[in-house]
Amino acid sequence: MADTTRVPKYYVRGFRERITEGLRYGGGVGQWSWLVHRITGIGILLFLIIHIIDTFFVVAFPALYDHTVAIYGGIISGIDPSVNGYYWPLRWAFRLGELGLIACVLFHAINGVRIVLFDFWPKAVNYQKQLFRVVQITFWVIMLLVTIRVVSPLFSVPEHQQNVKASAGK
Amino acid sequence: MSTRSGAGRRVRPAGGFELFAWYAMRVSGLLLVFLALGHLFITHIVFNVESINYAFVANRWAAPKVGFIWRLWDLVMISLAVFHGFNGLRQVLDEYITGSGKRVVVHTLIWSCMWALLAIGGYAILMFQRDDKYIKEWELEHGRPATAARPADSASQPPAALVDRAR
Repeated sequence: MADTTRVPKYYVRGFRERITEGLRYGGGVGQWSWLVHRITGIGILLFLIIHIIDTFFVVAFPALYDHTVAIYGGIISGIDPSVNGYYWPLRWAFRLGELGLIACVLFHAINGVRIVLFDFWPKAVNYQKQLFRVVQITFWVIMLLVTIRVVSPLFSVPEHQQNVKASAGK
Repeated sequence: MSTRSGAGRRVRPAGGFELFAWYAMRVSGLLLVFLALGHLFITHIVFNVESINYAFVANRWAAPKVGFIWRLWDLVMISLAVFHGFNGLRQVLDEYITGSGKRVVVHTLIWSCMWALLAIGGYAILMFQRDDKYIKEWELEHGRPATAARPADSASQPPAALVDRAR
């Protein structure tokens, strides 16, 4: 063990080769759970950065915060009267993004518990395939219920539009 | 403890910061299962995400008596989440960035971003003060109460007096 600081040949190769080699590696369930855990983790971090900054608006610029979160409901406001208004595709896009975020956090959480289990109870590795099956079943059962709850409001008029119609009728 | 690398699981570091980070990742991860999933459950399942606005946040953080519990929850949650996220990103990037000079740059950027986000997040959570004047103005401008419930929850309709005043 003379030269331990030498960079392994694998790392010297280009970024693209490493990605394609990594995908060709037949690691089975362990490889895919590792990859999905990593991608969901980076996705959640990106959202977390945005979410902390937008929550800072609550204290610094309350009106800007309200304009920002109104976009979740498909409403553009505070820019220009010709642009301001309700756009249903915007509402749908944010709803599906919301569902994606919940899916990422849920998978990362359940699979994370599985990883911690291996670390503190090494014998669990012998049942890693069964445990990943448990992760998958738990994830999909919860996601099914969450999807119904999150997507169903899309099929009714948003509450802000209900109020607009009610006050316009008077 | 057996550390067979062939077992296909992550090997615990021998000591130093990496060992601390190894434990911190696991402890923060397990706590975040409850804190982050609880946060998502409240904001996306119990409430409709479309009803979240300034008044919604004010009703939580500045709630009489229990406001500090929400602030404590959010503060603990973002501290753990920001550490967990940026340390995870560092571990991922360390597998691709192997030059020691490059690593110094990347690690400095990562930890700087982490502290900056903790600072603005902590400032928002701890320094928040409810602005009733702003909420009143919002209600007058929109002609509806600032805190709306899910459409299905008819039990929590706004009082008629408030709606009339807003018009």
